[in-house]
Amino acid sequence: MNTRRLLLLLFLQGFFFCAAFGQKQITGKVVDSATGEPLSGVSVLSDKKKSGGTTAADGSYKLSVDSKTSVVIFSSVGYTSQSFPLAAVPSTVRLTKAANALDEVVVIGYGTVRKSHLTGAVSKFKNEKLDEAPVSRLDQALQGKIAGVQIQNTSSEAGSDPKIRIRGGNSINASADPLVVVDGHPVPDGLSYVNPADVESVEVLKDAASAAIYGSRGASGVIIVTTKSGKANRPKYSVKASTGTKAAYERYPMLTMTEYGNLLYYEASLKAKDPSITPPTTSQIMTPAERAGYIIEQTLLGGQPTNWQSQALRDATVRNLQLSVSGGSNTAKYFISGAYQRDDGMMYHSNYDRFNLRTRLDVDLSKRVKLSFNMNPSYIKRERPSVNYIDFVRFYSFLPVYHNDVTAAFANQSALWGNLKPGDFAQARHFNGRIYSGYMPDGSFYNTVTAVDPFSTANNTPKSIMETRSITSNDYRVMSSGDLSVNILNGLDFKTMASAYIVYSNALDFAKRNSNKDGDVNRGQYNSRLMTDLLWENTLTYNKRIGGHSFTLLGGFTAQKTRQRDEQQQAQDFPSDNFTTMNNAAQVTLPYVDANGVQQGTFNTKFGIGLLSYLGRLTYDYKSKYLLSASLRSDGSSKFAPGHKWGTFPAVSLGWVATQEKFLRDVKWLDNLKFRGSYGVTGNNRINDFLWVDLLYASNYDFGSGNGTLVSGQAPTNPVLANKNITWEQTYQYNFGVDVSLFHNALSLSVDAYQSKTKALLLQQAVMAFLGSTQTINNIGQLQNRGIEAELTGNVIRRKNFRWTVSANIAHNENKLLALAGEQYFLNYGERTEVYRNMPGRPLVEFFGYKTDGVWLSQQQINDAKAKGLTSNLSNLFVAGGLKLVDVNGDNVIDDKDRVVMGNPYPDYNWGLTNNFTWGQFDFSFLLQGSQGGQLINGDANYNETKRINKNYIENRWLSPAYPGDGKTPYSTNGFNWMLTDYVVEDASYYALREMIVGYTLPAKVTRLAHLSGARFYFSAQNLYYHSASGYRGINPEARFNTSQYATPLVDGYQRGSFPLPKTVLFGLDINF
Amino acid sequence: MKRIHYIFLLGFIGLASCKKVIDLYPESNLNTETYYSNLDEVKAGLTGAYNSLQKPIYYEWQLTELRSDNTKQGNPGSTSSNNRDLSDLDMFTPSTSHGAIYQYWLTSYNSIRNANLILQKLGVKYDPAAGSLSFQSISIPISDADRKQLAGEAMFIRAYNYFNLVRLFGGVFLNYEPLTPEQAKTMNRVSAAEIYKLIEADLKTAASNMNTLKFNQIAGADLGRANGWAAKGLLAKAYLTLNRKAEAIALLQDVKNNSGYALLTGANAYANVFSTTNEMNSEIIFAIRFKAGGLGLGNLLPNVFAPLSSGSAVIAGDGDGLNYPTNDLDTASMGDPRRATNIGVFGTGSAAKLYVKKFIPPQPSVNDDTENDWPVLRYSDILLMLAEAQGFSQSSIDLINQVRTRAGATPYAAGALGNVAQFEQALSTERRIEFSFEDQRWFDLVRFNTTLTTITAEQAMKDHFAREYYNHYRQYTAPALTLVQLQSNVTKEHLLLPIPQREIDTNTSLVIPQNPGY
Repeated sequence: MNTRRLLLLLFLQGFFFCAAFGQKQITGKVVDSATGEPLSGVSVLSDKKKSGGTTAADGSYKLSVDSKTSVVIFSSVGYTSQSFPLAAVPSTVRLTKAANALDEVVVIGYGTVRKSHLTGAVSKFKNEKLDEAPVSRLDQALQGKIAGVQIQNTSSEAGSDPKIRIRGGNSINASADPLVVVDGHPVPDGLSYVNPADVESVEVLKDAASAAIYGSRGASGVIIVTTKSGKANRPKYSVKASTGTKAAYERYPMLTMTEYGNLLYYEASLKAKDPSITPPTTSQIMTPAERAGYIIEQTLLGGQPTNWQSQALRDATVRNLQLSVSGGSNTAKYFISGAYQRDDGMMYHSNYDRFNLRTRLDVDLSKRVKLSFNMNPSYIKRERPSVNYIDFVRFYSFLPVYHNDVTAAFANQSALWGNLKPGDFAQARHFNGRIYSGYMPDGSFYNTVTAVDPFSTANNTPKSIMETRSITSNDYRVMSSGDLSVNILNGLDFKTMASAYIVYSNALDFAKRNSNKDGDVNRGQYNSRLMTDLLWENTLTYNKRIGGHSFTLLGGFTAQKTRQRDEQQQAQDFPSDNFTTMNNAAQVTLPYVDANGVQQGTFNTKFGIGLLSYLGRLTYDYKSKYLLSASLRSDGSSKFAPGHKWGTFPAVSLGWVATQEKFLRDVKWLDNLKFRGSYGVTGNNRINDFLWVDLLYASNYDFGSGNGTLVSGQAPTNPVLANKNITWEQTYQYNFGVDVSLFHNALSLSVDAYQSKTKALLLQQAVMAFLGSTQTINNIGQLQNRGIEAELTGNVIRRKNFRWTVSANIAHNENKLLALAGEQYFLNYGERTEVYRNMPGRPLVEFFGYKTDGVWLSQQQINDAKAKGLTSNLSNLFVAGGLKLVDVNGDNVIDDKDRVVMGNPYPDYNWGLTNNFTWGQFDFSFLLQGSQGGQLINGDANYNETKRINKNYIENRWLSPAYPGDGKTPYSTNGFNWMLTDYVVEDASYYALREMIVGYTLPAKVTRLAHLSGARFYFSAQNLYYHSASGYRGINPEARFNTSQYATPLVDGYQRGSFPLPKTVLFGLDINF
Repeated sequence: MKRIHYIFLLGFIGLASCKKVIDLYPESNLNTETYYSNLDEVKAGLTGAYNSLQKPIYYEWQLTELRSDNTKQGNPGSTSSNNRDLSDLDMFTPSTSHGAIYQYWLTSYNSIRNANLILQKLGVKYDPAAGSLSFQSISIPISDADRKQLAGEAMFIRAYNYFNLVRLFGGVFLNYEPLTPEQAKTMNRVSAAEIYKLIEADLKTAASNMNTLKFNQIAGADLGRANGWAAKGLLAKAYLTLNRKAEAIALLQDVKNNSGYALLTGANAYANVFSTTNEMNSEIIFAIRFKAGGLGLGNLLPNVFAPLSSGSAVIAGDGDGLNYPTNDLDTASMGDPRRATNIGVFGTGSAAKLYVKKFIPPQPSVNDDTENDWPVLRYSDILLMLAEAQGFSQSSIDLINQVRTRAGATPYAAGALGNVAQFEQALSTERRIEFSFEDQRWFDLVRFNTTLTTITAEQAMKDHFAREYYNHYRQYTAPALTLVQLQSNVTKEHLLLPIPQREIDTNTSLVIPQNPGY
């Protein structure tokens, strides 16, 4: 519309405003501006809001309006509203389809739906600045941005998988990870290889009704990733580059040996002033080993302690480079991108490199036949440190990393270490078995008299292990798919898609001679895996519109077959440390099963998994006002025994768009009000294969004279007992939602409340150990998840030069175990024998143990308690300065019946708050993200070193009756095992300035001069500020263990020796031309 | 346009041929339901059961030798969790959640499970009321002789595990056939007598069913398998433990006179018993076998026992310095030629450390993977058990002397052991040195409570604490214990270990009684 027309309109408007009052009849027709097809159900309104109507099926309308009417407004969902002065209403109004939020197309699995017609709980996240987030992975970039999707970086190591839970996770034992679907292909590890810059949008199917179309795999929600495709245009090039650094946000506060010695002497000086105890004798202040360590640090190291954490950590480089080109004609479009990402870890030898190439072609073969082709090879190279960070944290400062002249000469005095030279790695054993003499913190001279071991370990220092053992892996993936859509009849489309996801990966773990211990032979382990996942999908879609009724019918069947072949070679004793292939090994290890039931040695295995599905869906709406969607999927899976393979998953959802009703149409401030309700059934089949039969593994033995001859044997060594009757887990979920948009979309709010019940839980439960196994798998128990989640988007300021938008989300979920097949509860053990309880009527996992009431302040207090009849058989309980357990049941005996619930790992709230500011060419956004109310068990407390030299465990500790510290902190070595008590349960709440991006986009006139279509610079940062709860004694409240005992959702909330949080800053550049 | 319909057709053809997609079976593993269909397969299953004997051995020393007066946790100043866990066993204060106790329990029962599976496949049924075993008809084509021999071996494995469990924990759970997890939850502990009933039935049946070829007639390939003599010897030990001496004597005499097993002779006879170049010699009636060479069958205990910070001087890959010989044992072994085989000394002067040398191979190769078999029943044990069963008599002293002479120790002169107390002390010391670090001492001490009249386990342990207190136990901090406190931990109740807390916790429908004192 040019300026002259606009002026004319204004003129006319003024004219009519002055015109006489009265009724006026208007008629006309409304059509789609693109197709020319008549539009029904379009609302036609006068601005006086006294009259209005809708267009008929042929697009025509007839309306009598108040003659005071100045403007007539034509609006319809999905179209940009138009208004005309009463006198200037054209006879045919052409409405243009709008790119308005409500009319966004949302991918829902085997189809799409307009957001306005959505009836389930689906969140869409468009890639706007996703690729500018200072993280390497797509899932990490989504953290805090979607209500009800909890993403937790359980390890900050480069390239590691975060834990993703949608609505709390509905499974106990089968995996509670959501299903990931990339461009229509459900992939087991999709989010690891997807290049964030290739992503067009991410949809999350949260409620069961939406996820039910994925049937047996939908119970934990579905994440659908859609990648970018080309648009008809001349070639558009885009270059994105960013680089930055990453460093640890915080380190553990560890004491040096000198500080520790000073502390012990200071504490001894206090104890000496306490008349109620025998003052510590000189020999009791420090053990000979501690004194030796102190002397080494003071003399051999010249008072320069080693900072082991600095030996582990570095300022790492993060780098990203991407080039893409897209374009095409009206019939053929392409999008091609290549990307390289380097994400170095904060720890040495932690590296992650990713190369992605992606080609997408969309071709209209004819008017009715469309072809789409996707090819996405990628390569990920990863190196992982061979030592856990905790091993550095807890290492003593008196040991040098490398021998210097002094320490080498000292070690050379021992016959065993005569060959050591300065520059060689120093090891604890080089200092053991020697007599030490030197000055103590109080100036006294001390001589150990007998030989002592300052640090009694046979293990090498973490730095030397790290440098002599390397763990690397290579993942080669190809995701390729082709689909062909045929428009058979008007409204009837057939689509067939074949896709292949092929992953070849190999890993090498090679330790040089003497890597872990002295005399360690060199060892190598090579793993390779070939996984091919083939999917064939056929769907038939029928669209029909009869008057105000419109239908979409979908029917289809899919077959997915995964084959996997794993090979492992374990070999040792190589003639040189420079080999990294197995062919020169003197010994190849035969297959065997280790104590944890893990297959070891050299082996190759293969297996297949198959899934066969039939699916159907009906979506219906009446005048975009009443919405209905119903689906049914039937899945057959190879994971279960014959007779238990098939499951059926129905779903139905309803919607009512209240703003389409006459009585709300006039409410000007209300743009959209929609109510949604759904019910659906989803399943979970993600358990290990063939748990329905006990498998046999190599379990050999040697018989015969002399050293015997190997005889092959077979035994059922899997610690999980099979169960033939296992089948699907089913989740039944209700969801109620409301969507509101107010004040011309200045504010939109979506609130969803849900309740789900998971039945026939696939549960890996503990069995009596006298069966000779530790666990079995079973379909028992019921779990309930209830929650509410809200997403709010506000366009707070919408000026031309300054815009401020806020989007906030918050989710609350509470789970409750409803039944455990008649069991009263389960108790599960973690690695430090800490106990996790699962009890019906309670949250799924609760920390279970002894309640403490500070520490025993004195022997007198213990004696008094005993005099009152308190007894216990628990070991090390009645020790002054040790934890004081509460006799909860009041029977005067402290025993296992006094154990109580000490907390649970589930946060009350997870929230995220994003603010976006645009001011002229500048933009600024930041994300605050937090989690409130969960607890964790901090396993650091188990470590002797942590207890002694970690400041968080020493400050205010008990020393003697007169110096009880805060009365709550036990003396490191005294008393009852901390890990069995609430002393190790800590608040896991946190909030963080998770992400911040400042950008500047060059003005168009500048870019034009440079023949560019756009250029932008930005600075982005992660974790600039991080706040963890008081009482938390670690450095990363998000860290969790999720392997071995902790692989099951029944044992959750444990961390130890967590890797530091990363603080990342990076600078980026985007150029389009 | 017409061509397009062919594409459409393709979809429907697919529908028909997809059933195979989900009818999948394991491709890389056999399973318990279809395996064991012939002699070779049952034999392979039994081999798997033998394999499972290895794992409990890794924990056994902690529950037996460490708790006895033979060894101690060697680093009293250490406050590390691992060392404290060991100290808790050493000092009679283990928690009911103690890791090693649970692991021993679990791995022993795992071995029992494998034996039960074989016995079920061989149609062997146990009647707990009658305490008898019977052979049911089976469909596996297998000769009666093979069936009896294989079943006998499985019974031996089962009985061996139960014998250890009942001696360590008292009455445990009686699991004599493959059970479902649901069935297991309805079962509670049974009395020790019930367990012994099964042990007796198993070993008696095994002894009569298995071959009793003389040692030198046993086919070379069968060495290492349990045989009739092993069953008789173990049963004799069970009888002796139950103080059924007459039955024990009959069996022991039989083994002594008819088995063909014999003491080694020659200059290094005792050392040769344990030599990795002389395995399955005529003194080894039964041993749990280990095999070096990257087979997953190597013994890692030598590295556990070798002295800490010895680099490669003692064994490749350094030692952990656990299971540290007591000075007391060293003193008792002084002058005995067996000391040189049993106890090593690392370092000199003030840095000198004792360590368990018995199982350290002379030419260490790869760490945590040594050849050393673990002796379970030796011929000298038969002789000394016979002496113990017979009691104070010249023929018993002769048996002791026979063992001593073989080892190069001076035999007791006539009249040197003049009374019961002297005899019993000599017998106790003889066993202690002869079987040092073979996980016998603890069981011996507890058994002496019934078989001997002048030695009790409690007193022996109290004396041990008294002798080691000044140099060792006194150094423990956190909490520092007086000798009286330390000795007060040694109670009759603490001669049994606690039932793992985890086992009690797992069953919420039955109250599983914990052993008293825990």
